[in-house]
Amino acid sequence: MDGSTISDLIIATVRMATPLLIVALAELYSERAGMVNIGLDGIMAFGALVGFLVCYWTGNPYLAVICAAVAGVGVNMVYAFCTITLCANQIVYGMAINIFAPALASFIYRVVFGVSSTLAQATLMKTVAIPVLKDIPLFGKLLFDQTPMVYLSYLLVIITAIYFNRTKSGLNYKAVGEYPKAAETMGINVIRQKYIACIICGFFAGAGGAYLTTCYVNTYSDGVVAGRGFIALAAVIFGRWTSPGVMMACLLFGFFDALQLRLQIGSNLIPYQLFQMIPYVMTLLALTLLGNKISGPKANCKPYFREER
Amino acid sequence: MEELLRMEGISKQFGEFFANRNVCFEVRAGEVHTLLGENGAGKSTLMNVLVGLYQPTSGSIFLHGKKVKIDSPAHAVKLGIGMVHQHFMLVEAMTVFENIILGDRRSKKPFIDVKERKKEILELSWKYGLNVELDEKITNIAVGAQQRVEILKALYRGAELLILDEPTAALTDVEVEGLYSIIEKLKAEGKSIVFISHKMREVLHVSDRITILRAGEAICTLDADKTTSQELANLMIGRELSEPIYSKVTQPGDPVIEFINVSYKKSFKHGGLSEVSLRVAKGEILGIAGVDGNGQSQLAQIAAGVIVNESGEVKLKGKKPSTFAPRGFIDERVSLIPEDRNLMGLVGDMSIEDNLVFKSTEDVRFSNFHGWLLKKNAIRQYSEELRDKYDIRCQSVAQETRNLSGGNQQKVILARELEAEPDLLIAVHPTRGLDIGATRYVRDSMIEARDKGCGVLLISADFDEVLQLSDRIIVLFEGQIMGEYSGKNPPIQEISLAMAGK
Repeated sequence: MDGSTISDLIIATVRMATPLLIVALAELYSERAGMVNIGLDGIMAFGALVGFLVCYWTGNPYLAVICAAVAGVGVNMVYAFCTITLCANQIVYGMAINIFAPALASFIYRVVFGVSSTLAQATLMKTVAIPVLKDIPLFGKLLFDQTPMVYLSYLLVIITAIYFNRTKSGLNYKAVGEYPKAAETMGINVIRQKYIACIICGFFAGAGGAYLTTCYVNTYSDGVVAGRGFIALAAVIFGRWTSPGVMMACLLFGFFDALQLRLQIGSNLIPYQLFQMIPYVMTLLALTLLGNKISGPKANCKPYFREER
Repeated sequence: MEELLRMEGISKQFGEFFANRNVCFEVRAGEVHTLLGENGAGKSTLMNVLVGLYQPTSGSIFLHGKKVKIDSPAHAVKLGIGMVHQHFMLVEAMTVFENIILGDRRSKKPFIDVKERKKEILELSWKYGLNVELDEKITNIAVGAQQRVEILKALYRGAELLILDEPTAALTDVEVEGLYSIIEKLKAEGKSIVFISHKMREVLHVSDRITILRAGEAICTLDADKTTSQELANLMIGRELSEPIYSKVTQPGDPVIEFINVSYKKSFKHGGLSEVSLRVAKGEILGIAGVDGNGQSQLAQIAAGVIVNESGEVKLKGKKPSTFAPRGFIDERVSLIPEDRNLMGLVGDMSIEDNLVFKSTEDVRFSNFHGWLLKKNAIRQYSEELRDKYDIRCQSVAQETRNLSGGNQQKVILARELEAEPDLLIAVHPTRGLDIGATRYVRDSMIEARDKGCGVLLISADFDEVLQLSDRIIVLFEGQIMGEYSGKNPPIQEISLAMAGK
């Protein structure tokens, strides 16, 4: 591998890690309030479609991302209402979103474009170089000549870390995921906090989906999400429910994703499917190695009944 | 003294069931007012209404003579009502400091003002003698310290009225003394305290006045210095009840189980065992006394084959068990009344009859082909027999066990375990959470089993129960045996010191 291959690999790693990171942070916010949302994949698929459509019609990828985020909130509110207000099982409804949302996205796409072999194409978000910083030798161009989505997601990592560790509101937020009844007795509105968590989760998961169709490829196709929602879910566990940890996990998965693409190109003899497995195998491996020792928020996945006897 | 709180005609209904019915209760400023009653008498429900966790079905609450509607715990906090719940409301993954400032609305600043807040909390803790380590995680501190955190939490929020729900249940004797002196200090500062308990002795010690609840209704309010524990007990259960005196066995038979230098997770003070040697013989009750969490749970699980000891030897009827697993022990006629009925004793979503035959599905009475085809009718008939024999109160034996009361759940377990005609019965907290009637029944059954020649290993955090039933008593402290005492005329003082590790 020569120098340019390595720098290509790093750029690709950052690009691949970004959607994972945004969505993993979405899940982090959700799980910190005790809401395990395995429907990320579905929300992403819907966000990807909405982002693509808005971008296709208006040509404005920024507007597209915002619309996708709002659509993500909309989809996630179904999950929120069923699991928070009706106290239904979180896994079941997360799964329901995974089945329902991509199918809806696929349906809408066909209604709009019909069934044809040519793919509609939209404009991609342009990279924005940060003045001064991009001129740093070696890394400057790699890290500071990216789309605004990339900068925002890393900024979000920092904000999240500060929020959960330094602010009162963040402390209260975490308490809801650990021991909601205790939080309630301390005057924290548990139900409201859980809804807020779901709004944040839907927002970022939708935006993460839109990243795929506005920054990554300029078309929409079914299965564009390719299980990234689940990898993000694993990244939260791998990152031990802290935003820096989640970032490292996403970069690791992003790296393997980028690597497998490079390996596919470089090899003619081995079937490409073998390389495509790499990120997923790494996810499995990471969870197997770590799964035993980890413990997330204590009340994760448990419905909260206020007047329970 | 001035009236601080008055609750008038409070009723709280859960479905058809009245947890509180038309209860009136009043607290004056600077007094300790006890709510006394059996489990399920509605003490906690009444207080949960007061702190806004439950909404009363009817009735009203007055604070300082003004009518208030408390619709959330946050509102109760604002009104100066603080509660220390029986199961502590502490987030274990957080530090003491973080737990105290949770939900704090003292300043509008978004960031936590660590220095200033800590200074305030330390001042408060000095004032009331509530010393705590602010930066320690809750998981790492003792139960007594967790309780001090809870009290501090309430005071930090400016509580005028402090509710202590069964505060001594999990404490050692020394910690209880500490709690009493904290209560004295709080009283001296003019705070009012509602003390919830069912232990007569401590109630008479700390309270100014006592209100007795029975079956959800307030029976009467008495001055503590004008009553006796016998009067309180009778009012509490609603009839005269004398304590039974059980005979003691001094000449037991052959040993059924022996522990020889058994260790399990030796380094754990709470939840390990270190070089434990003991023996239970046929026809005797060996009582294990000690504060919860000193290895009792592990002792019981090893004796039932659920977990395997790390060193030492366990002998069943004089030989090594052939399979060290629950099945092997069951085949040797070892029965277990586990510490948590719902977690280990019963499958809540399954019916009484299913729960009754769990251990014996391969029995020819209940199935053909070694458990492959159940004889439903035979099981039904057998269950109905047991229902009558053990007085299990239910709508039908097909009812799910989760809907039974604690006493009836325990009777289902008792029926299953005793019908196996055990040679060894391990009973862990067999009467925890049961009312007086059910408690009596369980105790009588254990004595009866003993008289039939069964060895009983009784593990209980209820000291009085251990004294009453045991033929021999062993004290467990931090996983070690502190001493062995005769069950006949036991040296109570000495044993209670041993329980505190002295």
